Amino acid sequence: MDNVTRATGTVRSRRAAAVIRFGGLIGLALAVFALVLLAFGQNPLRAYADIFRATLGSPYGFSEVLVKMIPLVLTALAVAIPAKIWLINVGGEGQLFIGALFATWGALHFGSLPAWLLLPLVSLLGFLGGGLWALLSGILRAKGWASETISTLLMNYVAILLVSFFVFGPWKDPESANYPQSAPFPDAAVLPSLFESRVHLGALFAIVGLLLFYVVMSRTRWGLEMRALGINQEAARRNGISADRYILLLMFIGGGMAGLAGMGEVSAIHGQLRPSLSPGLGYTGFLISWITMGSPSGIVAAAFLISLITAGGDILQMTHRIPAAAIHILMALVLFVVLARRSGTGGKK
Amino acid sequence: MKNTARLILRELAILASALLALGTVVPSAAQAQEKLKVGIVHIGSIHDAGYNQAHAEGVQIMKKNLPNVEVIQVENVPEGADAERVMENMIKQGAKLIIPASFGFMDPALRVAKKYPEVKFVHPGGYKLAPNMGTYWASTPEAFYLMGIAAGKTTKTNKAGYVVALPISFFLANVNAFQLGARSVNPRFETRVVFMGTFLDAPKEAIAANAILDMGADVLGVIVDSPIAVVQAAEKRGAYSIGYHYLGVQKFAPKGWISGIAFTWGELYTRFAKQVMDGTWKSEALFGNLSSDYLTISPFGPAVSADAVRMVNDTKREFIAARKHVFAGPLKDNKGAERVKAGEVFPLQGIGKMDWLVEGVIGQPK
Amino acid sequence: MNEMLFISMLSGAILSGTPLLYATLSELIGERAGIINLGLEGVMLIGAVVGFVTTVQFGNPVPGLIAAALAGALFNMIFAFIVISRRANQLASGLALMFCGVGLSALIGAPFIGRRIEGLSQVRIPLASDLPFWGRAFFQYDILVLLAIPTAVAVWWLLFKTRWGLSVRAVGENPTAAYAAGRNPHLVQYQALLISGFLGGVAGAHLSLALAHTWAEWMTAGRGFFSVALVIFAKWHPLRAIAGALLFGGAISLQLQMQARGVPVSSFLLDMLPYGLSLAVLILWSRARRSAVPGSLGRVFQGTE
Repeated sequence: MDNVTRATGTVRSRRAAAVIRFGGLIGLALAVFALVLLAFGQNPLRAYADIFRATLGSPYGFSEVLVKMIPLVLTALAVAIPAKIWLINVGGEGQLFIGALFATWGALHFGSLPAWLLLPLVSLLGFLGGGLWALLSGILRAKGWASETISTLLMNYVAILLVSFFVFGPWKDPESANYPQSAPFPDAAVLPSLFESRVHLGALFAIVGLLLFYVVMSRTRWGLEMRALGINQEAARRNGISADRYILLLMFIGGGMAGLAGMGEVSAIHGQLRPSLSPGLGYTGFLISWITMGSPSGIVAAAFLISLITAGGDILQMTHRIPAAAIHILMALVLFVVLARRSGTGGKK
Repeated sequence: MKNTARLILRELAILASALLALGTVVPSAAQAQEKLKVGIVHIGSIHDAGYNQAHAEGVQIMKKNLPNVEVIQVENVPEGADAERVMENMIKQGAKLIIPASFGFMDPALRVAKKYPEVKFVHPGGYKLAPNMGTYWASTPEAFYLMGIAAGKTTKTNKAGYVVALPISFFLANVNAFQLGARSVNPRFETRVVFMGTFLDAPKEAIAANAILDMGADVLGVIVDSPIAVVQAAEKRGAYSIGYHYLGVQKFAPKGWISGIAFTWGELYTRFAKQVMDGTWKSEALFGNLSSDYLTISPFGPAVSADAVRMVNDTKREFIAARKHVFAGPLKDNKGAERVKAGEVFPLQGIGKMDWLVEGVIGQPK
Repeated sequence: MNEMLFISMLSGAILSGTPLLYATLSELIGERAGIINLGLEGVMLIGAVVGFVTTVQFGNPVPGLIAAALAGALFNMIFAFIVISRRANQLASGLALMFCGVGLSALIGAPFIGRRIEGLSQVRIPLASDLPFWGRAFFQYDILVLLAIPTAVAVWWLLFKTRWGLSVRAVGENPTAAYAAGRNPHLVQYQALLISGFLGGVAGAHLSLALAHTWAEWMTAGRGFFSVALVIFAKWHPLRAIAGALLFGGAISLQLQMQARGVPVSSFLLDMLPYGLSLAVLILWSRARRSAVPGSLGRVFQGTE
């Protein structure tokens, strides 16, 4: 494969080769899982057909895959952005929760504002919440007090408990019969959905985030500086690039992305703040970001794949009585196959 | 290795032909029209020896009772975006009755119910109804009150402990009822409550149980997903235990078993399915009591005296006849504030609003 | 009564800390060889379930414990193959391993739900266990608790006092240089991950065989993940890992005690104690010794990329 791409050398054929390789990998993963399905006495053919029909085979199914992708792309960006200078942000989950917390405060506090004012405000608060939460870890790192890996991880637990504290305590909806949830968002604070589906305006955040990420990294001086920092901090520092400034900035922006994911989930999906806000979206985003080494197109592809497996897994449970545990194994198999590929680029990154 | 490769290639070939043949695949829903498809959504694993397994066993009994019913179930479904998709896909698979078996599925279910008025929903423990969505639950506080009587008569140290997942009002009400029942026969009784912050952390539950026992308690109760860890921890230390959700837990405590409470949903689910099939189903808020067949109290253990069992049974009859109320005033909370005035009763249907712990319970309700 | 309180606090700390210590040591050996494994959660789950199932089959926890350790080691070899031989990204591979462990352990354990086992029981040490106060505080535990600190010392000895340990650290610092010096980095890393998996399996077995005496899906509840943080906390040193595990176990124990005593603070805020305390100690610690500032994780990571 390597020789082929080098010989032809054009961008298009390299992309085509990448697509073929990616498709081949997925095919291999599906083939391996087919063996698992056979072990469960199921017909893999029927199983895959059922998954296809219920996900990509209908507008509804496809829209639901997109719904699932929105927070994953954002939490993947939350990891990929700081990763450009080798910061390991494990804290997407916590940043998502704090983003949702801030957004909820805004939605309930300024509930009487019109939507055109309230929505940007709530989104901004979501971004700010996640960003500030991550910034704390950035400060600890820049000061040399604690590595961001450990502080972001520890602060995940704190963030989730903080949200629990608010929804079990001061923010508990008096109308909800004391169930742990905030009052529902006013209509003006609910992100509008698109095309009669559950795909919501949060998709815009994800798309804009991806585009900006791509443009900044590949087309600007900042991107150049960040790459320099990522390769050799000492050399970069000697050239007058401030590592500390980038640490703070990138942690803030990364956290803000996760915060937006939290804002989208709480506003468009749940409609009120709950401790069960996220089934580990931050960790899945972490996985997506590192499996693709932060490439924007890779993030989209991996988020798509994982959403597809999740949605498809439910179908397998329904139609083929496959236990949820086997879906985890399917996920792992696909990931293993993708990870264990020989990287064809020859480069280190 | 070669064989594996061949198998993989064959599978790939099958897959390719499957994708080509996709347009001609017959929808599976069409084959089973005379049958009723019931979809049940579980929040956790159906092998948890606890809350979810009780629901899963319920639908299995329903299936056995009604050969015309087919069950599709999905486990480990998080609240939020996934819940709605799973329910909607079940409907697309032909389900006409949906059981979203967790409180947190209430709002997602309501949204899907609005979209599909011809499909019926029954939701456990909620408080919102729709023309095609009903709720069901049972007043567990009465049962916990009875457990309290048995514990109050059995204890030697007059101290008990409860290991509880989260300070949700249903659970607070259960602990309160337990304490009130115990106090009714043992005025010096007190109950310590420790919250885990999660439904699923058996090692931590065991450590919490030991901490409570170290403080002199000799009765342990538990409100988490599965009671196994706490009941075993009590038995190991020679303490008494009270189970919840899983009747099978009794075998873990041959000596110290007092009793336990569990939901047995099988017959209720059978009735739901029958009603949907013959068109008599209607949306209602079903709230069972000690006489309902879906709230079961397990047999008492050897440690409980005949006298205690007699008192429990007497009180049970009083409850069923509505001559006695669990939360009858005057009641003070554990900070000394009056919560229910003398002569008044805190209604069992309102325990969703109970956010305090009764006098004699040591713990924080928030 | 105060004595009782102390013993209760301490035993809670020791019991909570023991699986964390084994898990931390497991992660630490791998990271010393330059490999960060976020999939330890999965390894522990495999250990927990295999230990439980084997104990059910044999009616005795000893084969269970051995099987758990071996299963953990074997399972970790999947990870080893992917990150060493296939040079895949370690962070992502670890999470994939976790998914695999969650699913596989649930499948293995499902038929055994509700089975009863005689778990690991207290070991009676003649004399020591019978001491009036110290005996209860320190010597009335299961075998894995009693072996936890000796294991940490053994890991320290292995890493810092043996030729093999020197190889592991050399490979972890700079595989290219280690290779130039005549070592086989891949072989050393495989060996390190084998031992790591072994200890991860033991950590899981302690949860199912000694603490909970039962198997439940995802019963590790984040302990494996948290151990990755504890390794950083311990600054990659096995003896400091003892302090880390005890501190964290102690914080869990303390918050449970405070709840049971009715301290008027929300249980959610009390639950933050272990995490907040770890972070605070970490910060103070690093300020006191600026030279040991972390950042090695990036090095560990890049060293093998």
